[in-house]
Amino acid sequence: MSRRTPAPELEADRGILSAFDRRRGGVRIGMTAVHVVLAVGLVVAGLGPILWLAKAAVTPTQDTIQQPLALFPNGIDWANLSQAWIDVQIDQYFLNTIVIAVGSWFMTLLVATTGGYTLSVLKPRYWKVLNGAVLATLFIPSVVLLVPLYLTVVRPVTGGSLLNNYFAVWLPAAANAFTILLVKRFFDSLPREVFEAARTDGAGPFRLFWSIVLPMSRPILGVVSVFAIIAALKDYLWPSLVLPDPRVQPLSVRLPAIQSQVELDVFLAALAISTIIPIVLFLVFQRVFLRSAGLGGAVKG
Amino acid sequence: MKSRSKALAASLAAVGLVASLAACSAGSSSGKTELRVATFPPGADAAAYEAFAAQEEQFEKANPDIDIIGVEYEWEGPTFAVQLAGGSLPDVFTVPFTDSKTLLENGQLMDVTAEVEELGYADKFNPIILEQVQDADGNIFGFPRQAYAMGLHYNRDLFEQAGLDPDAPPTTWDEVREAAKAISEATGKAGFAQMSMNNTGGWQLTAATIAHGGRTQEGTTGSYTSTINNPGTVAALEFLHDLRWEDNSMGSNFLLDWGTINQEFAAGNIGMYTSGSDVYTALVRDFSLDPAVYGLTVIPLEGDDAGVLGGGDIAVVSPTVSEAEKAAAVKWIDWYYMQKLLNKDAAVLDAQTLVDSGQAVGTPVLPVLDQETYLESREWIADLINVPLDQMTGFFDGIFEQTPVGEPKGKTQEIYALLDTVVQAVLTDQNADIDALLTKADADAQALLDE
Amino acid sequence: MTRTPKRTPATWLRGGGLSTLVFALPMVLVFAVFSWSPIVQSFVMSLQKTNLITSEWVGLDNFVRVLSDPLLGTAVVNTLYFAALALVFGFPLPILLAVLMSEVRRGKGVYSALAYLPVIIPPVVAVLLWKFFYDASPTGVFNSVLGWAGIPPQPWLQAQATAMPSLVLEATWAAAGGSIIIYLAALLSVPPELYDAAEVDGASIWHKIWHVTLPQLRGVIFIMLILQVLATAQVFLEPFLFTGGGPNNATVTVLLLIYRYAFQNSLGGNYGEATALSVLLAIVLALLSFVYFKLTDKWSAS
Repeated sequence: MSRRTPAPELEADRGILSAFDRRRGGVRIGMTAVHVVLAVGLVVAGLGPILWLAKAAVTPTQDTIQQPLALFPNGIDWANLSQAWIDVQIDQYFLNTIVIAVGSWFMTLLVATTGGYTLSVLKPRYWKVLNGAVLATLFIPSVVLLVPLYLTVVRPVTGGSLLNNYFAVWLPAAANAFTILLVKRFFDSLPREVFEAARTDGAGPFRLFWSIVLPMSRPILGVVSVFAIIAALKDYLWPSLVLPDPRVQPLSVRLPAIQSQVELDVFLAALAISTIIPIVLFLVFQRVFLRSAGLGGAVKG
Repeated sequence: MKSRSKALAASLAAVGLVASLAACSAGSSSGKTELRVATFPPGADAAAYEAFAAQEEQFEKANPDIDIIGVEYEWEGPTFAVQLAGGSLPDVFTVPFTDSKTLLENGQLMDVTAEVEELGYADKFNPIILEQVQDADGNIFGFPRQAYAMGLHYNRDLFEQAGLDPDAPPTTWDEVREAAKAISEATGKAGFAQMSMNNTGGWQLTAATIAHGGRTQEGTTGSYTSTINNPGTVAALEFLHDLRWEDNSMGSNFLLDWGTINQEFAAGNIGMYTSGSDVYTALVRDFSLDPAVYGLTVIPLEGDDAGVLGGGDIAVVSPTVSEAEKAAAVKWIDWYYMQKLLNKDAAVLDAQTLVDSGQAVGTPVLPVLDQETYLESREWIADLINVPLDQMTGFFDGIFEQTPVGEPKGKTQEIYALLDTVVQAVLTDQNADIDALLTKADADAQALLDE
Repeated sequence: MTRTPKRTPATWLRGGGLSTLVFALPMVLVFAVFSWSPIVQSFVMSLQKTNLITSEWVGLDNFVRVLSDPLLGTAVVNTLYFAALALVFGFPLPILLAVLMSEVRRGKGVYSALAYLPVIIPPVVAVLLWKFFYDASPTGVFNSVLGWAGIPPQPWLQAQATAMPSLVLEATWAAAGGSIIIYLAALLSVPPELYDAAEVDGASIWHKIWHVTLPQLRGVIFIMLILQVLATAQVFLEPFLFTGGGPNNATVTVLLLIYRYAFQNSLGGNYGEATALSVLLAIVLALLSFVYFKLTDKWSAS
């Protein structure tokens, strides 16, 4: 694991093709063809739908229906965006989405770092039992939790109900053994001498955590943050169950519900607005994203 | 104007949220009884909220000790028990006839027998409809507030484009088929469309069955027999099959439910479809239909025992409310839902409020009280009716000639779900064996009924 | 750490027991309430019938009823069909693209970003967008494209035969980018000496791919395979939002069936039956993930 934790570099010394191969005429033509195929294919498949959505967001309904692939046959309708933002109250759901993502991120980070610190650095007597109990949940697919978790939220032991309460989304998101595993393994790889030195200097467990361990763990915290935020932005089923009140729902839950009640052009504008947060995040933190993706095929488990 | 009403709706929603949060933590500080009442489904027009705000004010003025809090609400059977357990249900809400029996048998509705009797109009209800909200001992668990009959909705614009007379809509299923064919050939739109998802396919197939003289279920409480494989259902499905596969006049989308078919119709993509006669209100309020293109007539009846499927909903009180809230709830139901059916002043006030905020008044419904009171109540508000009555003459002229038939009572929604797949099979598989499909659905339905 | 001869509350406190507990608490609490207890509950509930207020033990009734539901067979077959289609079409594509992308000298970063873009789009947005693309009328987006190539319009989601492949197509589009990035990372860890050695033996490019690259990727490929099977066995969003399980149950999957038991029956949930089916599915999936973790452990240890 530790071998793969550092960011994979984009360039290796060499790949399948040798320097000699690359000079051969056939290979050069072949590589040009590969470039063309990749460029065209990836632009069409990766960027195409998003560009189309951006176009449709400012196109009148009838144009989108009758000539979906024409570029503004009858002009641009900027009003779609403001209508989606204000009349469909996308602004509210946008805000809810951010609140849910930030809350899930914070809770996940809190639980993963303190938990990882307990299991990796503090290591109380019971750490093995705890570690085993946390890891065991990795084998339980999330589907089995759906109904009992739902009933837990509906009738928590504390009484009342967590329905329509953001904690019902934040806390289950934090109960993620995979992120704890990632953080723990990273903490395991940190040099123990530094901890010992700090302890000798009289640092207690809190100072050690806050001033030594966390600052040394920026790379893994970035990765875990990306996982947590992306998972929160993507989730549909769970928030749709525990947030039945439209006023607190995020975009992912709200969009299917309003689909039949909003005119198509405004709806497509709403869809386009919904892609803004993830795309901006991706463009800004591209390296962290790709590093996380390379690292964690296991997120879906 | 638009933005102002939107702001109003938003602040209303915000107030509702704050109030409901407050209601969780403590009782009312003002000494008023707080009552959370159902308003509209999600996505309703701001004008609807404007009308509601006006009515809320009127009611609170007359009842200063009651504080009304509007809550966005849509009946959802599956989450009902959870909403009830989770406390997110309004104190006053509406449920459809199809589910009312099950709910009251489960003890999930408040008994309001004494209150209904005290209000003194228990004997004014249409007995067939009152029966929907009574248990075996005759106790009453809700106020039937609105009923509808199935109608044939059509787009006058598409009729004209196809060279058909929008003032002479089809009166037989054959004429429906011809009109559908003409529309799809002339305009490329769906001449006739059919709901098929989320139990609405079964609902509409049941309506079509009854219109063809068949029934999908017989018997009374405790001993229902499924009769899904009957000539009426076969005829209804063959009708769909012919439109879809011989005429290709049903467009290209066969996975429609109540919301999506309304949306497609309002967008002008559907020539005709069948749905409840009261859907006009929603079409205008939630789906932005242009009233000028709307047409409504009765669905054709064929066969000896043919009838028109009816339904409706009842206003009920949550079983978890306190005595004070219950009293307030009954007052609200009486004022908001019932008085406009009984009392001229209330009817005029209600209609005027709705008209002022551009809401539909006069949408055709079936009387929940006796027919006389119903016709009289329409007289009271004749000047205020703003729905295009002359585009609905087909319905008003024919509906009182048709025999209303209630929805099947045993496992209604589960059996509708079974029939969804039958409708989908006929619409998406050219070689679907109707007899085999119905035999299987019949066996599955009977198994559900025998549980 | 010094040896403590006797453990008393005082020594525990002095040894930092309390602060350790503070650090362990968030994890313990969150897992206890939202993970461990629901897991236990799911096994309990699968043996119970509940209406949220009272529960009664019904033994294996829920399992019997689930297993005798005529829809279960359809759902299992559909889920396997989805998994198989995803395997045949969606699985090799990322490997191929990753191999190609790893060989280009310039633009690799741009290509990775482009490939990863669909993964960034929230799945709900992607599905709703594709639902519009799949419009079955001749003027639908995909049908217009087909029209340019002279291919007649397809029914996409509106026919039993084409509905499931349409779901798989979208799911593949949405997921391929993530796999590509993982394969790209794995390709970088192929030791260059192996290629050098193969070249000394006079290996052709194809030979190198077949005898060096793919064998070196074997571990990742197998893990990705299991991950994909795990994911496809739980497919829900696509059938739920695209077709609602239709037409004529052609896209009802196991998870959709669980959802229907719990949340879509007319009045209130069949929570017992839903958990019973969840437990059955979970057993199958847990076996698969067990294999997966055994393999990743072996792989990362090596």
